[in-house]
Parts: sequence; structure tokens; C-alpha cells
Amino acid sequence: MKFIIEKAVLLKTLGHVQNIVEKRNTVPVLSNVRIEADSNGISFKATDMDTEITEVIDAKILENGAITAPAHMMYDIVRKLADGAEVELTYPDEKDLLKIASGRSEFSLPTIGVEDFPAISADTLPTNFEMKRDELKDVIDRTQFAASTEETRYYLNGLYIHPKDEGETKVLRIVATDGHRLACVESPLPQGAENMQGVILPRKTVAEIRKLLDDSAAETVKIALSDSKVRFSLEDITLASKLIDGTYPDYERVIPTDNNKILEVGVKSLATAVDRVSVVAERTRAIKVIANKNHVILTTSSPDLGSSAIEEIEAVYDSESLEIGYNFRYLLDILSEIKGDTARFSFKDSSSPSVIHDTSDSSAIYVLMPMRV
Amino acid sequence: MTIRVLPSNLVNQIAAGEVIERPASALKELVENAIDAGAHKIEVSLTGGGKNMLSVTDDGIGMTADELSLAVERHATSKLPDGDLFQINFLGFRGEALPSIGSVAKLSISSRKKGSAEGYKITVEGGKKGAVEPTAISSGTRIEVRDLFYTTPARLKFLKADSSETAQCVDMLQRIALANPHIAFYLYADGRKKLALNDCNGAVPEARRQRVADVMGTEFKENSVPITAQNEFCDISGFVSLPTYHKANSLSEYLFVNNRPVRDKLILGAIKGAYQDMMMSGRYPVCAIFIHVNPRYVDVNVHPTKAEVRFYDNGSVRSLLVGAIRNALSFGSQHSANTGGLEHLLMRQITAETERMKVIPKIGDLLVHDSAREYPHFQRPISTAPAHHRSMPEVNLPQLEREFSVRVADEPSPQTLEQVGELGLAKAQFHNTYIISQTEDSIIIVDQHAAHERITMEHLKQSITKHERIPAQMLLIPEIVDLSALDKENILEYSKTLAELGLVVEEFGASAILVREIPALLGDTDIQKLIKDLAAEISEWGNAYALTDKIHHICATIACHGSVRAGRALNIEEMNRLLRDMEKTEHSGQCNHGRPTYVKVRLVDIEKLFERR
Ligand SMILES: Nc1ncnc2c1ncn2[C@@H]1O[C@H](COP(=O)(O)OP(=O)(O)OP(=O)(O)O)[C@@H](O)[C@H]1O
Ligand SMILES: [Mg+2]
Repeated sequence: MKFIIEKAVLLKTLGHVQNIVEKRNTVPVLSNVRIEADSNGISFKATDMDTEITEVIDAKILENGAITAPAHMMYDIVRKLADGAEVELTYPDEKDLLKIASGRSEFSLPTIGVEDFPAISADTLPTNFEMKRDELKDVIDRTQFAASTEETRYYLNGLYIHPKDEGETKVLRIVATDGHRLACVESPLPQGAENMQGVILPRKTVAEIRKLLDDSAAETVKIALSDSKVRFSLEDITLASKLIDGTYPDYERVIPTDNNKILEVGVKSLATAVDRVSVVAERTRAIKVIANKNHVILTTSSPDLGSSAIEEIEAVYDSESLEIGYNFRYLLDILSEIKGDTARFSFKDSSSPSVIHDTSDSSAIYVLMPMRV
Repeated sequence: MTIRVLPSNLVNQIAAGEVIERPASALKELVENAIDAGAHKIEVSLTGGGKNMLSVTDDGIGMTADELSLAVERHATSKLPDGDLFQINFLGFRGEALPSIGSVAKLSISSRKKGSAEGYKITVEGGKKGAVEPTAISSGTRIEVRDLFYTTPARLKFLKADSSETAQCVDMLQRIALANPHIAFYLYADGRKKLALNDCNGAVPEARRQRVADVMGTEFKENSVPITAQNEFCDISGFVSLPTYHKANSLSEYLFVNNRPVRDKLILGAIKGAYQDMMMSGRYPVCAIFIHVNPRYVDVNVHPTKAEVRFYDNGSVRSLLVGAIRNALSFGSQHSANTGGLEHLLMRQITAETERMKVIPKIGDLLVHDSAREYPHFQRPISTAPAHHRSMPEVNLPQLEREFSVRVADEPSPQTLEQVGELGLAKAQFHNTYIISQTEDSIIIVDQHAAHERITMEHLKQSITKHERIPAQMLLIPEIVDLSALDKENILEYSKTLAELGLVVEEFGASAILVREIPALLGDTDIQKLIKDLAAEISEWGNAYALTDKIHHICATIACHGSVRAGRALNIEEMNRLLRDMEKTEHSGQCNHGRPTYVKVRLVDIEKLFERR
């Protein structure tokens, strides 16, 4: 195997694949990236046995062949080469190693034969649909933050995706919750997803695909699913992963439908005010929101230090006064995903879940459970 | 003052005070009697936690009218044939249980002797014995206890809520059942079935394996290994958990000596020793261990409820048990790797120090710690030097240097030192992690990270508990936690205190609780583990320290941000500051995981090492 490739192209690809490779591995070959040169181009493949990434790029191929070599080391080497340089990879070199040569630098890396590299079965996945790249990016951003990181409730450690009949329109629902707050986003149902079963995408996979989406120029993303696997394809990159094997809770039950005290408030003014007053409540995390006729008062305090803060902002509110506590971080997380000018809060009382959404966009709702302060 | 012989009723009441502490102990006595009578099936039924009614029905040998009358007399027993206290083959031997119960409750016994056509009944109410009358009963015995402790209201007041007493009864019957796999046991509380253990077939090992699985659950079965060992007078068998499977208290160590459930300190200590260096400190294995000793070599008559025993040869039982456990966990080979020497000395010192520093917190001081009581050692204001230091004049560094003839550290020496406390003067720092200081008679090694963490935490703890209530995050999706009946009751009993700490729970079915709110500080946390740890802690210590500690620990982490002094080089002044802070801080002798924050190596021990003594 021998090919010549531009540093920037190689670096970008290695950047993608080394993300998947665990820093420490008990199985040596899992620390390696599999490189293969053939008539399709150069393919790079890495896996942690749960997730597998493959990326194919163009290069000047002088000789076909395949080998595996340490992913992190290759990435570090290529990163430090001069910008704009051309890199030549050769295997086997005189010493039977993988040679990376660029300008006057030359590196030899140990290798492991491709026959040891685990082949994750390329089974056919029955459900296939496409989503616009920006749309997928958007639904991930608006839900990901609410997913649980607590590993014992593994079934909450990801995004739950399922089709849903909303009267005559059918939608794809993406849901995340950690048991304290919940994000639920709807997107037009893509063709091919009508009969899919609900699946839970692991957080790590979601984070990985989210990074790739930023790096790719692809218009659309192909998504293929079975009940245990998912595969995302963006032009030259394929990310395949296991799904979380678990039952997602009946989340719809916790979305209130009868909250009738409505508060409308400017997103920006609220978010900046919350951010300001929360400085004194760093430890307790608690903020009190007091909704009064046409204004909101935010208060925080840290009694042990003797510090407190209060701020008043204009709002539209016509129900009886209500005092409700929140974890200010949860509140900020939600506000930062509301892109319109105004947020609508609907409350029942200070110990029931509040519903928050963008007045100009009904595709996403957020449910936030109050704090007792 | 005249000396008089106590009336027998009073004697019985006094005996009852020792033998019968609560419904579960009455249950134990009655069920043991049924086992002694050769029963194959024992049915327990109770209402109101056993306080209103507790009955035990067996299909054993039964009693004749005469035997019935004698059974309720004090010191009447059929179980010591030769009057030899050193040959005890039955569970009972004192002839004390029935009269004791009869003196504090309304006792009625119906029985029909095997092979006899008639059944008889006798009642004893508050110590007054009734006449024996014929009654209709199938072969066997039924003993019913009503209004337990109605003659001793003070004792009644000490009992817990019905559900908690019920849970203890269930636990007691489970213990007895473990030792008697060939007998079927059933327990009904307020008409509901709480326990149904069918009799197990096969030889003892087989049957026992089955019973252990029935009682202790499949999780234990999967995480345990069998043990076995014999010597000429003692035979040990049973199951012990792998070191990775543990609980926060020792209540799941089920121990039996000659089929009696016991909680013997010697055996508990031996188990602890066997798991030493394999299990995190403060965690306990789960096990069912059956020890059989020739009745001649064990004294079971040393404790009123027979919970403790005395072995003829403690050492050999201990080493046999430790060996059996170590073998089963196949750690036997590593045993010889111990090097002794300094390591040994240090270990001894560490154990001694931690033992001394171990503080068992009491109920009621959940929120505010009374430093004076908990840690008299360090609560003293720093200005008054400890007694044995008082003779030392205002110490300054150079003088100490001379006295101890140690090279002065290169750091600039502090201008003025506050009076030196018990942790001595800092000399050096090793690996940017440990501070070495010296006192008059020892060298002290301080783990700076653990010590600093503790100090910060104690600080925060004070401010939090004094000034604010702990904010709670309500759960959008409440969490259900499955617990044993006993654990559930324990948690619910403390629910008020827990709510003050931000943890709101409620009852959910017979053996689960629902968690509605958690302390906001814990964030996205493992609620199951939190509740289980709390339950274990409550049942052992009678308080809910785990939660307070957890909250405090998080506070400490938040407060420290990056400033935790781990792996940071400290100058001599900083080191001394830390030592002085430790002296002022309660609990500073141990980090929040119970590990010591410092270790003291006495000069005499060092001298011994160098064979100067
Ligand atoms: N369920 C029963 N079936 C047959 N006989 C019984 C039963 N319960 C008690 N007895 C008889 O009554 C006697 C007295 O019982 P009691 O429990 O008071 O004393 P014990 O069992 O001999 O000794 P201990 O006080 O140590 O329990 C027993 O020795 C036994 O003969
Ligand atoms: Mg008895």
C-alpha cells in the first residue's frame, strides 16, 4: 500500500476516526485505525465495538493494500506536520512498518494485520430514511442537553426517536429527559420512517454524529435503523452504532396539558437576567421566579454567605401571582434553545411541571420540574 | 430493709424483660419450640406487628394435658434429659420462654399429642395460670399470644410502628428458616402472606442451597461461593459473597451455630478479617455461615436471647473460618506475600488510629454536629495546648530543630508559629501529596488532599446546616426503588428528616418506595443506590448520615473548584497552616470515606525497627 495525500485532508479524516478510538484499550487492535487503498479511494475505519466509523477520501494511490496502525499516534504526527505539506504513507517499508513521510520528516509505526481488525457485520437495516443535515443538527441541539448522564438509568442516556400521528399530520418525535426536565421536538416525518419502532440513540453516538454534521458539507443524511443498530451516512462518512437496549418511559404522561397560567416574556431579557442573578446562587442552583401582573421578579440567595440578588423584568401575565423555584442551569439550558424573541411559560402551580416553548415555533416543547426552595 | 423472695410472677416478668424484647423475640421462642417438637410445617400469623396477636401453629409431637400444665411453669423443660448443661441438643433448654411470655401477655396453648385422640388447652394471662381444658385441635400445637406487654406498658412504648415490627418478625423467621431447610415456613401479617418457604428436599447441603436461594435471592446466589472446612470438633459450611458484592452494614451476615441464629462478635470479627484488604472499608459481605460444633465444646448459655455463644477454643474456630473464606475466594495463596516489618508496624498503627477516630454518630445530630461530644480530641481551641504539651515552652522552629536533630527544611522558616498542636511541626512534603511533620514522640504523615477536603467540607457543613434549608429538585419522572420490608420501613420512619434534607419519599406498595424529590445539589444522581445506602445505614446506625454526607461532599467539591490541594507543592508555612486547621476541625482525622487523613508513627516503633529497643 502506498499513497500520497494532502495533510489537511488526512488530518480531518484522522480527527474523525480517532474520536471513536478509546485512549486505553485492552485489545491492541482497537487502538488502531484500519487503512485500505483500493479503486474506491482510501478508506479509514475505527471502532470501539459499540460504534464504528468509516470515511473514504481521495488520494493519489500508487499501490493498493490494507493495514492497521495506532490511531492517536498517527493523528498526533499528522497534526504536527507543516501546513500544506504532502504526506506519503507506505506499507510495508524496508522495516516492515508503516512509514509516514513528509518533507524531511519520516516516521515508522508498528502495525497489526487487517485480519485482526473486528469486522462489525454489515447487516441490512430495514428502516431507511433521509433528513436534511441542518434539520438533524437542529433536533439534536434542541434535545441533547436534557438527556441523562446517570448510568444506572441507561434507558434515559440518549435520544428517543419515534413516529407520531398528530391528527392528519405525521411527525417524527425526538425526546430526551433526565427525569428533571424533558425536551420534545417534532420534525416532519421523513419518507420511510412511517413504520419504524421507537429507538433510543446513545448519547455518545449522538455527540459523535453532531460533530460530523458540522464538518460535512453534505445536504442530507441517510439514516438506517434496525431494532438494535443505527447507521448514519453523510457522503463519504458512515457512522454505525448499537442502540440502547431498553424501554423508554411513557414520557407523554408527564407533559401537562392543563397548565392554564400563561406567562410570556422576552427570551433574551429573561436569560440575561437569570444569568446575572445566578451568580450569587452558584452553590444552591436555585432561582425563584415570581410571576406578577405584567412583570416577573427573579430572586436568588445564599444565606450562608449572606448574599442575595433580585431583578425585575417586564412580561405579559394575567393570572394570580405565582412563585416558583427552578434550577437556574436547567432554565438557562432551555432558554438557550429558544431561537424566537418570546418564550411562553405555562404553569399549574409551584409544585407541578411547567411547560416552556417558543411563541413563534410550536415544534419544540420543554417541560421543567420546579425546585422546592 | 427486709430481704424477701420475689413472687414468681415478678420473677417471670424480670426474665421476660431479658428474653422477650419485642414481638420478633416472642416469635423466635415459639418457632424454636415448634422446631424442637419435630415440626415439618410451621405457620406464623400476626396482627398489629405482633403486638395485638401472634400465633404459631406446628405439626410437631404435641403435648399431653399434664405436659401442657407443666410447660408454662418456670424452669420446666423436656429438653435437658440428663440435666447436663454441656449436652444441649435442642434449641431450648432453660424452660423459660413460655412462662416469660405468659407473664407479660395473654398466652393460650392448644395441643394434641401425637397418637392421642384428645386435644387440650391452657391459658396464662399476665402470669395467672388457668385450668387445662379439652379442646378440638388436629395433631400438633398452636400457641397464641395476645396483647404482648400489656402488663409492662413501659416496654410497649419502646416498640416501633406496626409495619416495622412486622418486618422484624419476617426477618427473624427468615433467619430461622435458613437453618432449617427441611421445614416449611409461612408467615401471614394482617391476613396478607409475607413469607412462604416450602420445605426443601434432599440431603442437607442440597436443601440448604435451595433455601439460601429462596431466602437471600438470586442476586446473592450469583454473587457468592460455597465455603466448607472441618477439624476434629468443628464443621463449617455455607455461602459467602464475592468481595465485589457488599452492603453498607453487617446485617446481611447470617450466622448460625448449631442451627441457632447468632450475632456473635467473634464470628463477625473473623469474617471481617477474612475480607480484609479485599473489600472497601465500611462495606460488609453478605453471607450465610453454618457452624456445627460438638455441643460439649460450645456454651450457648451466655446471652439472654442466645444471640452469642462461647467456644471452647476461640482461636481454632476463628482460623478455620478465616481459612475457609479465604480459600473459597481463592486468595489463600496471596496470604504469604505479607512482608511484615515497617509495613506491619504501620498497619497496626493505622488500625489503631482509625479505630480510635471512628465516630459512631447518634440519632438527632443529623443536622448539627456537636463537636465537643463527637471528637473531644480536636475540638479544643488551639490556644490551649494539650496537657502533655503544656510543659513545652513557646516553641520556635530552630529550637525544635535542635531538640529533634533533624535537618532544617530549605524553606524560609516561619517568623512566628502559633503554639504547636498535636499534629506537630511540618518538616517536608513528599510527592507533592504527603506532609511529614514531627511531634515530640512521633512522626506524622498527612494526606494533604484528604485533609484539605475534610476541612473545606466541615466548613461548608456548618454554614449550610445553620443557615438554610436544602433545596429539592422535584422529579418529573418519580423513581421507584424496590426494598425489603425492613428497609422500606426504616426509610419511611426517617422520611421527615430526609425531607428536611431535600429527599422526599412516599410508600409505594408492600416493598417499594417512590422518590418524589431529591436534593438539587445531587443533580442527575443514582437514586437507587442512594436509597439503598441510606436504608442500610439507618438499619445499622439509626440515622441517615449517607445523605448528609453526600450533600456535604458535593458542597465541598463545588467550593473547592480547582483549588483542591492535590499534587500541589506547599511551602512550610502552608503546611503548618493546614496542620493547624486540622487541629481546629472536628472529624479531621478521617476523610469522608472513612480513610485516615493522617497516620502517626511513634518514635518507639521506629526505634524498634532499628533494633534500638
Ligand atoms: N410447640 C410445642 N410442641 C411441643 N412441646 C412444646 C412446644 N412448645 C413448648 N413445648 C414444651 O414446653 C416446654 C417449655 O417450653 P419453653 O420454651 O418454655 O422452654 P424450653 O424450650 O424448654 O427452653 P427455653 O426457655 O430455652 O426456650 C418445652 O420444654 C417443651 O417440652
Ligand atoms: Mg423454648
